[in-house]
Amino acid sequence: MTDTRHMSLLVRDTRTARRNRAETRFRIYGLAAIAIGLTMLVILLVTIVGRGSGAFQQTYLSVPVTLIEAKLDKNGNRDPADLKKVTTFGYGPLLRSAFEQMVDDGTIRTDLPAKKIAGIVSDGAEAQVRDAVLADPSLIGQTVTFEFLASGRVDGYLKGRVSRESIANDKNISAEQLDIVDQLRTAGLLEKRFNLAFITGADASDARPEAAGMGVSMVGSLFMMLVVLVLALPIGVAASIYLEEFAPKNWITDIIEVNISNLAAVPSIVFGILGLAVFINYMHLPNSAPLVGGLVLTLMTLPTIIISTRASLKSVPPSIRDAALGVGASKMQSVFHHVLPLAAPGILTGTIIGLAQALGETAPLLLIGMVGFIASNGPDSLGEGLLSPNSAMPAQIYEWAKRADPAFYERAWGGIIILLVFLITMNAVAVLLRRRFERRW
Amino acid sequence: MFDNTTKPEALVSKTSKISTRNVQVYYGETHAIKDVNVEIEDKTVTAFIGPSGCGKSTFLRCINRMNDTIESCRVKGDIRIDGEDIYDPKVDPVQLRAKVGMVFQKPNPFPKSIYDNVAYGPRIHGLSRNKAELDGIVERALRRAAIWNEVKDRLQAPGTGLSGGQQQRLCIARAVATEPEVLLMDEPCSALDPIATAQVEELIDELRQQYSVVIVTHSMQQAARVSQRTAFFHLGHLVEFGDTDRIFTSPEDPRTESYITGRIG
Amino acid sequence: MNLSFLQNPLVLVALVLINAAVGYVLARRHAMARAGGDARKLHSLPNYYGMTAAMAAGIPALGVLAIWLLAQPMLIQSALLPLLPADVVADSGRTSLVLSDVSRVADGLDRAVAAGVLDAQRIAALHTDPAGLRDTLGDVGVALGAEVEVYVLAAAEKSRSLDARADLLRAGVVLIVALAGMALAVRAASPTFRARNVVERGMLALLIFAASLAILTTVGIVFSMLFESLNFFRLHPWQDFFLGASWSPNFRGDSDLSILPLLWGTLYISFIALLVAVPIGLFAAIYLSEYAGPRLRAVAKPLLEILAGIPTIVYGLFALLTVGPFLVDVFGAGGPLSMEGLRGGDPLMAGATAVMTAGLVMGIMLIPFVSSLSDDIINAVPQSLRDGSYGLGATPSETIRQVVLPAALPGIVGAILLAASRAIGETMIVVLGAGAIARFSGNPFEAMTTITTRIVSQLTGDTDFASPETLVAFALGLTLFVLTLGLNVLALYIVRRYREQYE
Repeated sequence: MTDTRHMSLLVRDTRTARRNRAETRFRIYGLAAIAIGLTMLVILLVTIVGRGSGAFQQTYLSVPVTLIEAKLDKNGNRDPADLKKVTTFGYGPLLRSAFEQMVDDGTIRTDLPAKKIAGIVSDGAEAQVRDAVLADPSLIGQTVTFEFLASGRVDGYLKGRVSRESIANDKNISAEQLDIVDQLRTAGLLEKRFNLAFITGADASDARPEAAGMGVSMVGSLFMMLVVLVLALPIGVAASIYLEEFAPKNWITDIIEVNISNLAAVPSIVFGILGLAVFINYMHLPNSAPLVGGLVLTLMTLPTIIISTRASLKSVPPSIRDAALGVGASKMQSVFHHVLPLAAPGILTGTIIGLAQALGETAPLLLIGMVGFIASNGPDSLGEGLLSPNSAMPAQIYEWAKRADPAFYERAWGGIIILLVFLITMNAVAVLLRRRFERRW
Repeated sequence: MFDNTTKPEALVSKTSKISTRNVQVYYGETHAIKDVNVEIEDKTVTAFIGPSGCGKSTFLRCINRMNDTIESCRVKGDIRIDGEDIYDPKVDPVQLRAKVGMVFQKPNPFPKSIYDNVAYGPRIHGLSRNKAELDGIVERALRRAAIWNEVKDRLQAPGTGLSGGQQQRLCIARAVATEPEVLLMDEPCSALDPIATAQVEELIDELRQQYSVVIVTHSMQQAARVSQRTAFFHLGHLVEFGDTDRIFTSPEDPRTESYITGRIG
Repeated sequence: MNLSFLQNPLVLVALVLINAAVGYVLARRHAMARAGGDARKLHSLPNYYGMTAAMAAGIPALGVLAIWLLAQPMLIQSALLPLLPADVVADSGRTSLVLSDVSRVADGLDRAVAAGVLDAQRIAALHTDPAGLRDTLGDVGVALGAEVEVYVLAAAEKSRSLDARADLLRAGVVLIVALAGMALAVRAASPTFRARNVVERGMLALLIFAASLAILTTVGIVFSMLFESLNFFRLHPWQDFFLGASWSPNFRGDSDLSILPLLWGTLYISFIALLVAVPIGLFAAIYLSEYAGPRLRAVAKPLLEILAGIPTIVYGLFALLTVGPFLVDVFGAGGPLSMEGLRGGDPLMAGATAVMTAGLVMGIMLIPFVSSLSDDIINAVPQSLRDGSYGLGATPSETIRQVVLPAALPGIVGAILLAASRAIGETMIVVLGAGAIARFSGNPFEAMTTITTRIVSQLTGDTDFASPETLVAFALGLTLFVLTLGLNVLALYIVRRYREQYE
């Protein structure tokens, strides 16, 4: 209890001191909150980059394989139809003898049988040799050096994910095989390299994490974004123009407004249920198609675009409209000739942000079947791109996160890096647009 | 009183409550207040008049360091209350504002009950030992602000529910509840109707018994009605300062005369 | 002549658009010709004449197409009713289940024919004995719950032939409407024709249609979920769904499908998320709006908002692979806080997926959501209130706690409700981070499951729309929708009221 009256201002009383300490504490809480938020951001980003950058590198092994004519082309006439009859399985012996050869010339010193040694390369190696032979039958009879993907475990060994201790109970790889890996590494035949296939390739089966890539799902996402852009932008702008410029103030427009702001907050999975029930079950559009994904994401993005478009229409001052009306333009002309162009940068910014949101959305896609490992090639045409089954970037990441082999986790983090690069680019473009064209009235 | 009131040096008197020397205020690059020297006496109503943007409100807000809350604002020069420099690093603006209360242009009651509005200051400054004492402080403040009879039956009703004039008197009650020595009023009647204005003006006259009141006003009539001393500001300068009667009857500076006769402002 | 390409609606849309473009050119030229090549003699600018024709050719035709596409499945279904046994038709619940089977079989037959597995003769042979059809269709990717009944196959065949005929008829009608519209508009294009007024009226109609799509979406959401939910409640007692105590779906039937354990998991996780997000978000907002200088604000605010822009799948992975294992290190077996001693050797946390894992990560995701909403709301508190408080000698923190926050309280409550609705509807974080076990438990380190994860798991993979285990997802979805909608409406109402107060 202090009476402030008649006290010198230069003397700080105890109560004020106490209050000032409370003040400092309060500020510290605030700073701490911000610090926690930013720390979380840093931890998240460091985790993503730290665990995902490995996906952009892959271990390759160069092996000289002798393409024995007797096994591949018994008739010796190089007839493509005959060549195709030799299945992937038939290429196995070639690979094994290639490794036997490496043991014979001393590159590999081991007691393991050739079949075990071949376990250090990807299961896709035979198919790789077969594809090369089918593409160029003249290779038959020669010894060709192939760059095989090392198996996921070997790749993990080079990246430090797999160690001799961790494989004690692992059926897929043994310590002896790792010895071979070490020998090949010293010989310079086995090394980590930049992995373009991760960015351009398709997903691979559970047994071949080393071959899985994001490329095809990126194409799926691209087609979905195309659908969203083509539908959501014009519909969103039209709806906003009506609500902002023409709508009378009555209960119908009130309902529409409340509806839009509510739709913006409806959980995304509900839109997935809607897509499943309406587009797939009722309208019989194809399952897993980017068209359906795009339609669902359009409905989800529309409220966002409408809200931001209305804000930018609202920021155009009424004097512009009055000026156009004053020279005899119709209301429609004043909007389309004057207001809309002035609001365009804001609309564009809002649209890009809406697209970025849609690009990262996963839940609704799971319900309409857009999960990983559906398409092994990119589509050939626009129609096929829209209608043939595909995945999308976030759904592909989810698919990898669910698989048992930790090698896929690295791919999931790597996929996140790619996804975030897209999102950051889109947001940066939006920010630049805003900076460049922002107008203060 | 002295005759030569435009020269503040000559006005050093025992009753001077606030004295300023060469006060300059800058808003970023703008020089808003230029070289103001003024002596404000205790138990007197001093009016600051002048055209819009002349700096009278800015200067008023320097006296309790409200300008501290504005980022770009810098104050230079010397402002003393009871001889103590209020811009001294040792001075806590919180303590200062308890001693120099303020009433604003627009009534700004907190969205709380009438009672809590008035009790807010005494509570944060710890002026009461118990509830009964606080009740006493609140009642005294409301009585002094001449609003007790209107609100005594609804002290728990929200302060925002009162009429404009009542709200402003509530704000005055809130300001006097902390027992300040100086009361700054920034156009306290500009948002009020004539009847409410008359009530507040009457109140200001009564407050003079205990406080040194400084009022910024747009209305020359109001300055003439409520104040004993008047300062005329123009473009950041203090043009003329003296007894209200004299300023309005025989201004010395031609600018003051133009303003009073309605040619500028 | 093979006209089957016209059955594809996309081809039809393209044809209508081409026709509209032709109409544009013709009408514009026609109007100019009648005006003797002098555009000043026309009532409107020449382009408007073109646009009337394009609109007349395009809009009615596309409208007919859209309505047709929506109505055709319904009409065909009603045409199939006479083919079904009387006891099925008598029970509306069974009817809709059988009809959904029929449409799946028809779909499967289409796919099988396209893949070359079946042809018309072989299908005809199946008519009397459809045994084995289930496996054939399973091979082309259409999973069926049971062997195909004879009447189902008959109805499916009928539906395919009706569909094919209706598709052709549709093409004919749409093209006629398009051509007629174009012809009328081109004929009308004379100098006195008020083309601009007509175009503007047409445009306004389009704008209104676009605005009402939002309503259509909501209606679509509600109805699609409502119908399937009703089907669900025909197969499964509602008492068990709303009041039962356990969730154990069993695809052989006889499942316990109660929402309550899922609701418990959902609310528990959301509660933890809010416990993290609200204090941090609120304090961050207070600091940024009341204390921070412009430079800190310019840096910290956008950085925090990055957290809101990160897709939820990223948070899901972060929960599953980083936060979960970290929590297990601390609270799991052998961890410093596992409390094994107190719990008889039973560690507090058994696996990486847990309520705490999902809740913490969701809380991080919601920090920027809470902080930017609260920031807006705190900024809406008029400066005059702060001045009033400072003028009485209050410190900034006293002003914030006793004046600003109470004044902003309704708005902040609204923001928290919106955040809660976000948390309840969030899917990916809980799918990956929360686990799959439905139970009532108080231990936040145990795995629990939520409404959204169950929707995902019941609707992915092979789904059979005649089984309650699949249909329950729609009832869950509807409950989720109603729950979040209620929160949103309440929150938006509070925030709107709050804003009006200070405007």
